[in-house]
Amino acid sequence: MINALLQTPLFWATLTIAGFIIGQHIYNLSGNNPFTQPVLLGLALVVFVVEISGTTYDTYMLGGDYLHQMLSPVVVMLAVPMADFVANMRRQWLRILLAVSVGSGVTIGIAGGLTYWYLADTVVANTIMTKSVTTPIAVAIAEEVGGIPALSSAFVMITGLLGALMIPSILKMAKVTEPQAQGVALGVCAHAIGTARALELGQQQAAYSAMAMTLTGTLHAIILPLIL
Amino acid sequence: MAGLLILLVFLLSGTVLQLTFNLPLPASILGMLLLLAFLLIRGKTPTSLTQISNALSPLLPLFIIPVSVGIVTQKALLAEHGIALVIILAISLIPGALVSAWIMKGSKSDL
Repeated sequence: MINALLQTPLFWATLTIAGFIIGQHIYNLSGNNPFTQPVLLGLALVVFVVEISGTTYDTYMLGGDYLHQMLSPVVVMLAVPMADFVANMRRQWLRILLAVSVGSGVTIGIAGGLTYWYLADTVVANTIMTKSVTTPIAVAIAEEVGGIPALSSAFVMITGLLGALMIPSILKMAKVTEPQAQGVALGVCAHAIGTARALELGQQQAAYSAMAMTLTGTLHAIILPLIL
Repeated sequence: MAGLLILLVFLLSGTVLQLTFNLPLPASILGMLLLLAFLLIRGKTPTSLTQISNALSPLLPLFIIPVSVGIVTQKALLAEHGIALVIILAISLIPGALVSAWIMKGSKSDL
């Protein structure tokens, strides 16, 4: 009976939603600690069940696909915050655009270059270059350029966690105290997780981080598929 | 629900654009750019779109779980090179954060 159940798409869709809800509860209980992101806990639970039941990813995805199909409309939806930010950029647009494009270009260039040097594998190197944008965009880019979407998602999450952890100390050591500089650095390098961290530094940092992350996402979405 | 319909219509338009001109950009990203252009020209976001955005945003982590579970197919790569890749991710963050912070340093706060 259980084996038959494990073959049904509905079981895996239900498990994924349950994992997410449990993850969300633990996240709330932990006082919104970034290291207990709902997606991490939900993901860990689903991966655990997939692994111990010996289910293949293809079988899981028959159900997972119900939810996965929502990613494309969610990418389109990212235009909504983006339109607000474009309207808000006013006098500083050139400087912000420069900070976002140069900063994010440097970080993904180094990551892609080091990975290619270390592994001599274009697929993994291209995939790691999607690391600085929010997962829905990263996955869309990885699919388009022949990268590995699952790996792209993992790189995005790890980058976000590392960035939230490292960037405030790096900036402190470099004596960067301006809220707009802290916010943009977090948004460019650590996307949504960085923005959550920026909110702990202050409202201004969070506003700049959200703007920088949205801009980075749009910019990389246009440029990466053209150059990779 | 009108907001969801708007998203799907723009996604479909992105798909049509991609297929017609054989563009290298994903349909979802073309849809996003079309919607962005529409919102900037219109100057105001329709209420239904703000509503669907508020409803769907908290669910974003749920929608990325299925693709992330695909990590089970990458166990060999991660077992062998996982730590090196994490180190590469960490190293590459430092110059990126510093460069963007330095460029922003001289600006006045506007937000």
